[in-house]
Amino acid sequence: MKLFSTDAVRRMGVFAFICLSLAPVVAQTPTSRIVGAANKFLSTLSDKERQSVLFSFDDEAQRARWSNFPTGFIPRGGISLKDMNSAQRSAAMALVSTALSRKGFEKVRQIMEGDEVNKVNEAKNPPRGNGNGPPPGDGKHPPPGSGNGPPPGNGDGRPRFAPLGADLFGRDLYYISILGTPSEKTPWMLQFGGHHLALNITIAGERGVLTPTLTGAQPALYTIDGKTVRPLGQESDKAFTLLQALDDKQRKQAILSYHLADLVLGPGQDGKTIVPEGLKASDMTEQQRTMLLDVISEWAGIIHESAAAARMAQLKADINETRFAWSGPTTVTPGKNITAYYRIQGPHLVIEYAPQTLGGDPGLHVHTMYRDPSNDYGRGLTKQ
Amino acid sequence: MKSRLIVGCVIFLCFARVVSAHRLDEYLQATMLSVDKDHVQVSMRMIPGVAVSSSIIAGIDNNKDGVISKAEQQAYADRVLNDLLLTMNGESVKPKLVSVDFPQVELMREGLGEIHIELTADLPQAGPNRRLILENHHQNGNAAYLVNCLVPRDRDIRIVGQNRNEVQSFYQLDYVQAGARSDPPLRRWWTGVRASISALGTFGFASVFRLGMRLICARSSLPKHVVAKAISKVRPDRFGSRHFS
Repeated sequence: MKLFSTDAVRRMGVFAFICLSLAPVVAQTPTSRIVGAANKFLSTLSDKERQSVLFSFDDEAQRARWSNFPTGFIPRGGISLKDMNSAQRSAAMALVSTALSRKGFEKVRQIMEGDEVNKVNEAKNPPRGNGNGPPPGDGKHPPPGSGNGPPPGNGDGRPRFAPLGADLFGRDLYYISILGTPSEKTPWMLQFGGHHLALNITIAGERGVLTPTLTGAQPALYTIDGKTVRPLGQESDKAFTLLQALDDKQRKQAILSYHLADLVLGPGQDGKTIVPEGLKASDMTEQQRTMLLDVISEWAGIIHESAAAARMAQLKADINETRFAWSGPTTVTPGKNITAYYRIQGPHLVIEYAPQTLGGDPGLHVHTMYRDPSNDYGRGLTKQ
Repeated sequence: MKSRLIVGCVIFLCFARVVSAHRLDEYLQATMLSVDKDHVQVSMRMIPGVAVSSSIIAGIDNNKDGVISKAEQQAYADRVLNDLLLTMNGESVKPKLVSVDFPQVELMREGLGEIHIELTADLPQAGPNRRLILENHHQNGNAAYLVNCLVPRDRDIRIVGQNRNEVQSFYQLDYVQAGARSDPPLRRWWTGVRASISALGTFGFASVFRLGMRLICARSSLPKHVVAKAISKVRPDRFGSRHFS
């Protein structure tokens, strides 16, 4: 007597084959996917290019080599998208995309695209230089940090000054670098950034840390194919909605009486914790606290979903100790960005949103900073 | 005349190049205080905007050789130091220069260079309740000031409050230092008088009156509701004493 029909055996065989084929995919964790993407990217590089991308994990100078400024002025380490071929560029962007959430990657893409708009706007009013540097595109002066020369810096820890002939803006002037060796076990770090963008992602086992990260946008509102894009629009809108939800007493605590012209804890301000100010979330309603967490998620949710979930859980646990402070106009034109500064600060969090008063509408030029004073660069996870 | 016009156009175009990336006509002066039991550290990051950097550099590069020498750096830091006023409980405190670090002149010209000045000041002995005031008047015509205080590493120091004027050229830090001995009554009285005189210049009569009344209230046996009534007679909206919260 046959236990199973031939047909059943065949079906079971097919099912087992599918299960075994899928097993490695199902077993893949976010970290293993990122490590895989990193190794795939590295495999597209020549030995020389790989050398410019890879840094020692304890290279503190490279770790801190990020800025809001264009790369033509403050050179970054690593290799730029501009200096990659299309396969390398795809692999680099695939790596960045794997390390981020879908929403986070879209934000990054919009920031880079904004810089391309900036470049086009600049091209419409071509600069003439100031006589100190060579004319643009003279062919003799490679862009700084092109991977051909020595690492950025002039030996005294300061960045080299780039002549005005160097490119300043554009979607391909973003640099990628890796500190340490991509691994599922030992800590390593992925950096990706350029003008208005500095992602510092530390991977330690299954943990992922995104702090410190700088996002910015200029223009912070632009149109592509008839569609209006605001890379940091949610950061603006959600915070403004929260401000509106506060009652008079709460607003009195939240609104600072002084003007803030810039980020307080921007680039170069690692390891500092300032005295917190503003309205404590413990003095908010449950609904307002939820709104505050929603504002925070605009930064905490840039990293891939599982790391973001762990981070949000930590920040939710801290919420009563978290403060919200606002400085500047308390109105906004619908569809535009706020022109006010705001800060969210908790035991494991500093977020700053700082419109730049550099001539013109401050809402069109925004810098933001996202930090964890207790765990920037994942130091809380990686220290021996 | 024609050459001036050309020079003007060149300058304009230089600015046009960097308008979209850099600070323009402001001189950002970001100060970070770090308070310890017996001293305060003052760290200043100073970034002249691209439209004001030439005049700032000209004011530093005294011999106009295009290089900012160590002596010129030192002289500039001394000037900045002279433009600061630091007091502790009304008593003037003189900061000392620890270090000064200048960026490349080219970076400064582009509005990217950060001047770093580190100062330190010994704080006079005082009671547990302390008020540190920092006023920065350096280049106040085009300055954009930022002042903050780091969370003290010493757990005996607890920050009670911070007050600033709108442009942050005035910064007041109130803190409590556990373990500090209370001042003798005469010293306390004298400190109070000096603080009041100092505050008079900054905040005006109404605020000082209210502050004084609060002090009396806190230190005397007068019924508090009587003092409170007196305080309320001085209307903040009338005297514009918005600095006190």
